[in-house]
Amino acid sequence: MLAYDVVVVGAGGAGMMAALSASEDESLKVACISKIFPTRSHTGAAQGGINAAMGYRDSTDSPEKHFKDTVKGSDFLADQDAVEFFTTKMPEVISELDYYGVPFSRDGNGNIAQRPFGGASSPRTCYSADKTGHVILHSIYEQCLKKEVDFFDEWFLLSLVVEDSSFTGLVVMNIKTGEIVPIKAKSVVIATGGFGRIYWNRTTNALNMTGDGTAACFNIGIPLKDPEFVQFHPTGLASTGVLLSEACRGEGGYLLNKDGERFMARYAPEKMELGPRDLVSRSIETEIKEGRGFGEGMDSYVLMDLRHLGKKKIMERLPQVRELAMEFEGVDMLEEPVPIRPSCHYMMGGIHVINPETLSTQIEGIHAAGECACVSLHGANRLGGNSVADVVLFGKYAGIGARETAHRRSYGSETKLNQEAQVWNKKFETIRNKKTGKNIVDIRNKMAQTMWDNVGIFRKEEEMATALKEINQLIKDYKDTYIGDPAVRYNMAFVNYVEIGNLLDLAKGVVMAALNRKESRGSHSRGDYQTRDDANFLAHTLVHKRENDDYELEYIQVKITKYQPEERKY
Amino acid sequence: MEKFIFRIHRYDGTTKWVQEYQFPYEENKTVLWALTKIKDEIDPTLNFTSACRHAICGSCGVRINGTSYLGCKTPLDEIIETFDSKMLTFEPLKNYDVIRDLVIDWKPKMKKLKLVKPWLIPTEEGSVEKGFKQTEQEFSKIASPTDCILCGVCTSECGQLNVNDGVYLDPFILNKAYRFALDSRDGSSNEHIQPVLDNELWKCIHCMQCVTNCPKGIPLTDQIAYLRKTTMKMGAKDNQGARHAYAFYDDVKKVGRLNEMMLPIKTDGMVKTIGKRVPMAARMVYKGKINPLHMPKKVNGIEGIRKIYKYAQEVSK
Repeated sequence: MLAYDVVVVGAGGAGMMAALSASEDESLKVACISKIFPTRSHTGAAQGGINAAMGYRDSTDSPEKHFKDTVKGSDFLADQDAVEFFTTKMPEVISELDYYGVPFSRDGNGNIAQRPFGGASSPRTCYSADKTGHVILHSIYEQCLKKEVDFFDEWFLLSLVVEDSSFTGLVVMNIKTGEIVPIKAKSVVIATGGFGRIYWNRTTNALNMTGDGTAACFNIGIPLKDPEFVQFHPTGLASTGVLLSEACRGEGGYLLNKDGERFMARYAPEKMELGPRDLVSRSIETEIKEGRGFGEGMDSYVLMDLRHLGKKKIMERLPQVRELAMEFEGVDMLEEPVPIRPSCHYMMGGIHVINPETLSTQIEGIHAAGECACVSLHGANRLGGNSVADVVLFGKYAGIGARETAHRRSYGSETKLNQEAQVWNKKFETIRNKKTGKNIVDIRNKMAQTMWDNVGIFRKEEEMATALKEINQLIKDYKDTYIGDPAVRYNMAFVNYVEIGNLLDLAKGVVMAALNRKESRGSHSRGDYQTRDDANFLAHTLVHKRENDDYELEYIQVKITKYQPEERKY
Repeated sequence: MEKFIFRIHRYDGTTKWVQEYQFPYEENKTVLWALTKIKDEIDPTLNFTSACRHAICGSCGVRINGTSYLGCKTPLDEIIETFDSKMLTFEPLKNYDVIRDLVIDWKPKMKKLKLVKPWLIPTEEGSVEKGFKQTEQEFSKIASPTDCILCGVCTSECGQLNVNDGVYLDPFILNKAYRFALDSRDGSSNEHIQPVLDNELWKCIHCMQCVTNCPKGIPLTDQIAYLRKTTMKMGAKDNQGARHAYAFYDDVKKVGRLNEMMLPIKTDGMVKTIGKRVPMAARMVYKGKINPLHMPKKVNGIEGIRKIYKYAQEVSK
């Protein structure tokens, strides 16, 4: 049986940082498994930047200010011990990335350039033009090549295995051959990204953001934390939902309604367009709802106008963004404003991590980092520029944590691992040979539709109850689906089938947690409970999946060290 | 009703076949939209790779009627206009091993990539604690080459790789070597460039297909020219490629045109030329293609050409 001291699942920013830091210890055998070739990972799609209080552009900036901004941005739901650890360590990680060769844009002094971003009290977002995530992802991959990390490209996580409450390994599929194999491991880092695809096409997320690791953890009893907090990015391109970077607002872009009015003056008179994402998204949707948008129904939008920045600035700072708008919306932002509308962007919730410095979970041996995890750094709303920061920093520390765990543990029993591989083998054979049943693409589309219609930016009891009913029905339907491809080799229909199963399980968690949080906080905005309710809901939601597939909710305390909740105004 | 007819080259690991799909034409759609539609609505057994949908992940490279494109950013209407037809033939990218249908294998390419040490070899001026200082000008040199998304379009289009035995490095690998050789934070340009020279750098045929088709507009052939110049500066002047370049340089400077009789001798030396080229040259003389006695005279306006040389030298300083 394949055996590795540390197995990292996922090869985005978090996964490869984890693999890299775990590999620092040369006595350990480290593997990095990814369902796609590493540089295809979604970290690469991050455009605008990465936050760290370097103080290059504003010498008064400090990790303390970054701490405070993040807590305020989170609507006081972030765990403050985690946030403080994060903001204190971030400057070091930026220097480390620089040393790894990340091509950062520079200022006149030769330092890494920084720009303003939503919800930040200082311009602290380090960037490389508008391809920050892309260059970070590639640079970390290069470092992994240098370190000779053992990559298993196009291997797909099926499940994690726990025997006698002890983690023993994982079962994976080699997509290229169709083989299903168990891998023994002393520790694992789950770094599989978010699950924005519960909204299918109405998201900025890549097609494969299906929360495989989060679902695998959920299935073995690690709860899902705060899944109801879904970030809708204010500026998705109107027709495709593809992301238009926050850098557009950061560089001074205007948001205009159909009367040509900078409507953010109504919602965030001080910060204007630089308000945090949840607020700006709601403002746009309110404009549309109240008839001040363009277009009708699903095709409604408002405008992002950058023309006043001038050609030079746009070409220098936002070249890729301009190209994106031309290619995917047919609009040249030098000449015309760009139609935009919010699009599901990020999951604040995820795998319940219990220690922010080791990224461990309640099961010894299992660590999690990046968007799949909930530390909780972002609380009820993530600030722009904090997610690439999250992946590299917590990825690094998850790698260190997993390394230490591996030293403490020895390989476990192979019995259940073999059984679990058998179960999957049988399932693969049954599913690929099944000739009739419910259409998997229909199930996927119905899930997305009900999630967008009923559990979107504005939420209400009845609508969410409808969604829950529909998701429950879809979970039933899912048991009788067929995929239509009997092949063993590179059977993406089967991979997609497993992914949609994962999405359904997680979508149900999102709806249940959202239904039960009877307040408005951060990204979770309820028409029937319009204010924040600290007395009852200053708490993290934990969703447990019990033996009989029942879901159970629990609430745990938020860690508040320095900043007591106060009204959140911008 | 107008419709698309896609003829897609399929492969299941053992058998190859061409499968035809027909579906209604829609305007303003991308290539990736069409492939996704086929998989979702017509044939779930069709396989291709895709992820981000906005030209940053590099997954969805594919060949249409023999030319390589990145599927997500390529409008179908543009393809239809280019080929004047709604019947299109799809194949996987060329110069890769195919796994299934349009899915190719990147693993062997990564082995090759490692030859050029595709990572920063830091100078002593930086440290892991403090990072580096780099000027805006220095950054701007590496801005374009770091746009590369490893989509593989350049490899698929490469005229040399089409005929090469596998030693020649893919254009994206040359780009990587260039990117680090030029980075002010890298202290060992030679370590990136030497392997490039050792792996047939001079065999680029300047067909420009990589540049023409690169979805990120990276000037790959300019970079190859830079790499060649740099190897000469490093002292690698006595190799076939460099001698060939000097033959052009000297002849044109001297008389304003090339002496084709002397070119192979200057490039390969007398002995090799006699061994390798004389039979072909004899046939060419016999057919009247070349005249061995013709010694090109100075062209009119040779002074102008020399001025251009002088100017170019000044500019490149």
